Amino acid sequence: MLLPTDYSSAPFQDKCAKDDWEIENNAKRDLSPSNKFRFYVCGSSNSNKNGKKSSTKWYVKQPTWRLWGEERSEGAVYTVYLKKVRYHRPTRNISTSNSDSDDEISHLEWETVRVRFVKAGTLKKLVEALATDDGELETTYINVFLATYRSFSNPKEVLKILLQRYEELSEASCNGHSNKHEQHKKTLVSALHVWLDSYPEDFKESPDHPALEQLLKFCEEHLIATELEAKVRHRIEKYKREQSSDSLFNQTPAFVIRAAAGGTGWKNYKLPCVPVRHFAEQLTRMDVALFKKLVPHQCLGAVWSRRDKSRSHEAATVLATINQFNAVSFRVISSVLVDVTLNPSKRAQIIVCWIDIAQELRVLKNFSSLKAIISGLQSNPIYRLQKTWLSVSKEKIELFEELARIFSEDNNQWTQRELLMREGTAKFADTVGENDKQLQKVFQRQHNHVANISFGTIPYLGTFLTDLTMIDTAIPDITQDGLINFDKKRKEFEVLAQIKLLQGAANAYQLPEDPDFDTWFDSILVLDDRDAYLLSCQIEPSSNTSGVNKTRNKKGMGHKKNDSVASTSSSNSSQFYYEIDSTPSSPHNSIDRKLSPSRMSNSSSCSSLPSLDASLNSSHSGSANNKLLPPPNSGTLSPSNSQKSSPDFYIIKVTYETDCTETDGVVLYKSIMLSNNDRTPQVIRNAMMKLGLEGSPDNYSLAQVLPDRELVLPQNANVYYAVNTAFNLNFILRPKPAEEKQNNGKTPKGRSKHMPLA
Amino acid sequence: MTRPPNENLPTIKLVVVGDGGVGKSAITIQFFQKLFVTDYDPTIEDSYLQHVEVDGQWCILDVLDTAGQEEFSAMREQYMRKGDGFLLVYSVTDKNSYENIVHFHTQILRVKDRDTYPMLLVANKVDLVHLRKVTEEQGRELANKLGIPYIETSAKDPPLNIDACFHEVVRIIRNQPQIDEKKKRKKLQKFKCVLI
Repeated sequence: MLLPTDYSSAPFQDKCAKDDWEIENNAKRDLSPSNKFRFYVCGSSNSNKNGKKSSTKWYVKQPTWRLWGEERSEGAVYTVYLKKVRYHRPTRNISTSNSDSDDEISHLEWETVRVRFVKAGTLKKLVEALATDDGELETTYINVFLATYRSFSNPKEVLKILLQRYEELSEASCNGHSNKHEQHKKTLVSALHVWLDSYPEDFKESPDHPALEQLLKFCEEHLIATELEAKVRHRIEKYKREQSSDSLFNQTPAFVIRAAAGGTGWKNYKLPCVPVRHFAEQLTRMDVALFKKLVPHQCLGAVWSRRDKSRSHEAATVLATINQFNAVSFRVISSVLVDVTLNPSKRAQIIVCWIDIAQELRVLKNFSSLKAIISGLQSNPIYRLQKTWLSVSKEKIELFEELARIFSEDNNQWTQRELLMREGTAKFADTVGENDKQLQKVFQRQHNHVANISFGTIPYLGTFLTDLTMIDTAIPDITQDGLINFDKKRKEFEVLAQIKLLQGAANAYQLPEDPDFDTWFDSILVLDDRDAYLLSCQIEPSSNTSGVNKTRNKKGMGHKKNDSVASTSSSNSSQFYYEIDSTPSSPHNSIDRKLSPSRMSNSSSCSSLPSLDASLNSSHSGSANNKLLPPPNSGTLSPSNSQKSSPDFYIIKVTYETDCTETDGVVLYKSIMLSNNDRTPQVIRNAMMKLGLEGSPDNYSLAQVLPDRELVLPQNANVYYAVNTAFNLNFILRPKPAEEKQNNGKTPKGRSKHMPLA
Repeated sequence: MTRPPNENLPTIKLVVVGDGGVGKSAITIQFFQKLFVTDYDPTIEDSYLQHVEVDGQWCILDVLDTAGQEEFSAMREQYMRKGDGFLLVYSVTDKNSYENIVHFHTQILRVKDRDTYPMLLVANKVDLVHLRKVTEEQGRELANKLGIPYIETSAKDPPLNIDACFHEVVRIIRNQPQIDEKKKRKKLQKFKCVLI
């Protein structure tokens, strides 16, 4: 009996099960990561039933299958196929157990077998189907079942049914039919082994692991001194030991909790003068760690896209992957923007540096961080910097465009899908489009240098998530007769199997760990999209200014008239951030705006735009909406002019004071942007968000650390003007003692209703 | 019904945006599903392409729906850049999704560097009457404020306004003032110059 211990084999088994397959293909399969997908793929662009080209069919389509019909029994519906297969001796029994031909004629080349697949069924029937009619383990089926059953059941329930089934068979075998039933029982034990080995987390439920205990009890009754019993006992022991020092990796995204362990070496990393290959490797190392920990079934539409808050922990590994993706993108954006004084060619160097890192990521086949960088460079605040892009050389622009083309949405992400299929488990990257001149050169150089290094592949997870969401939406969970639609699970498994296969291949990466890189990564200021856009507009003012105002006025947007007159080219952003915080018809006053938390952005919600005006006319800061406007194009939005004399914002570093923030003398801090309109509660709120703290800002105090003392900021001060700029802008955020919180029970006026009151 | 003509039809790229869980994918699937009743495969190249006839004129709709990728916030602007028109979808059962619409609206205008752009406000899941949190009045008010049309949809069987919402965006795109078209072309040229 073949137990599918190697999950990477699953997709093919399943594909084969559903479509076309010859036994020999199976036997030939070498599943080491170094093998290319293309070994299994013949004619990937063959037409399927719809006459549409499908890009992810990894199997051969041959006219050897014939749909025979549907078969119904109580509680289950089966699809039955007749399959022409090459005849093989029954001794090599790989899952053709459905073959009802025991023909021994040696010259027979082909035979027709009848294959039955569960199409839909009750949970009980689905569990029973783990064994075939002959009592053999259905290897394909168990893979699909275990990967997807959480969308229609739970471990406890399935275990109960499985054990019940065993007991039923035991009783039945006492009354004759023993042979077949014994085989069935054996198969159920095998299924338990597979389950325990491949989804240990299903049995890990702190503190008592009831599922394991139940299984142990069952073993003691029916399977004393078997391998299964030993395995269960071992597992229980192991979990007990682990419990004392348990730390769930899921709790916080890795990049948040990573402590600065190294020295000060990270300070040598300063864009654009960084070792690009090394950076690409380090980004990949981070991605590999997260990708290996990704639990594929958390990507299922039923789990991921239908998640509600109470179930969000169920998709923690997906979220961790996405957080890392965003973290990379945000770092690209902020590193290009943060120094507004750079001239275009200096800024272009930073962009080029990221393009170079992206190119190395392509060579490493890390499509996650590659896409993150491309997305960062294509994000509006960077993309719109025309002068800067003009300073990027033609070759680099070409390279950038070639890399970006990989993620083109055209034809349902065809390029990316095709690439993943070709290189998914290949040793190294070698696929280029005909027009990819720059990449061709890159790969040529690669081949000359590192011929013997092989890499895994980190996919961009988003495409899988969308595919699974679409499957989940398109195909019903329950058939019309009220049965669980298992065909849907097979469909979903096709996607999960790809993920699993790539996870296996990711083991090929051998990347050194550089703690300095992690520290550098964490040290980079992250801007939210509004701050990034504002900085971008400081660097290169928007060209569309007058047009905006004209149309806005023409439309006569009622109560907003003042605002629209008052706003300049970034009126778009001001409007949004203003409106999101207030009900559509509420009057807007600047206090309201400042104090209402922004739902979309993680920092000061509404104050920066007025701050841009204020840079010209700072005495009016905070009352932007009442202000009359400088004429458009008069430089209102080019504070870069005034910028040199007094910056419109400071970047301050905030440490959270607790007992555990100091590790080896290194203080962890978060950088936040402080604009000249930010008042204390807003700054505290920004800091809290960056530091991952929850609750009301009223429960915290903020103080600037000065050489001889601390400057505690008053409750509603304008922090920008209150800070002492003669010293470093280092701040401490600390929780207030309990009695002070009560005194602060009265909240500042204008507090938004969105804010949970302490 | 007339058959689509064979000559080269204009391709119109529509992008469906909105929070996770508002039923974007259901709208998209409902619109395309007719083709895939038996065997849905989300990876097929032309899964999201369809010939449609709107007001007697044929075109090819190319719909981009990144349902499931909402949390990849950093790449949103990248795909917004590609759209000729947008469906801004919220669920009438989810107030947050309604409030976030304005963010998508702003982001699209910012990416397009325009003061208006073809968009349609889509209030989805109106079949869930008893769970409704956002009234039609509130929906229309928001649409007015953003200066875009409003439509109510349901992707449940029988679907309500699913074809209509896609067709409506096509109309909005066709009806946008000529000046804008010229401007757009000028812009494109300008940007090409920048890159080359």
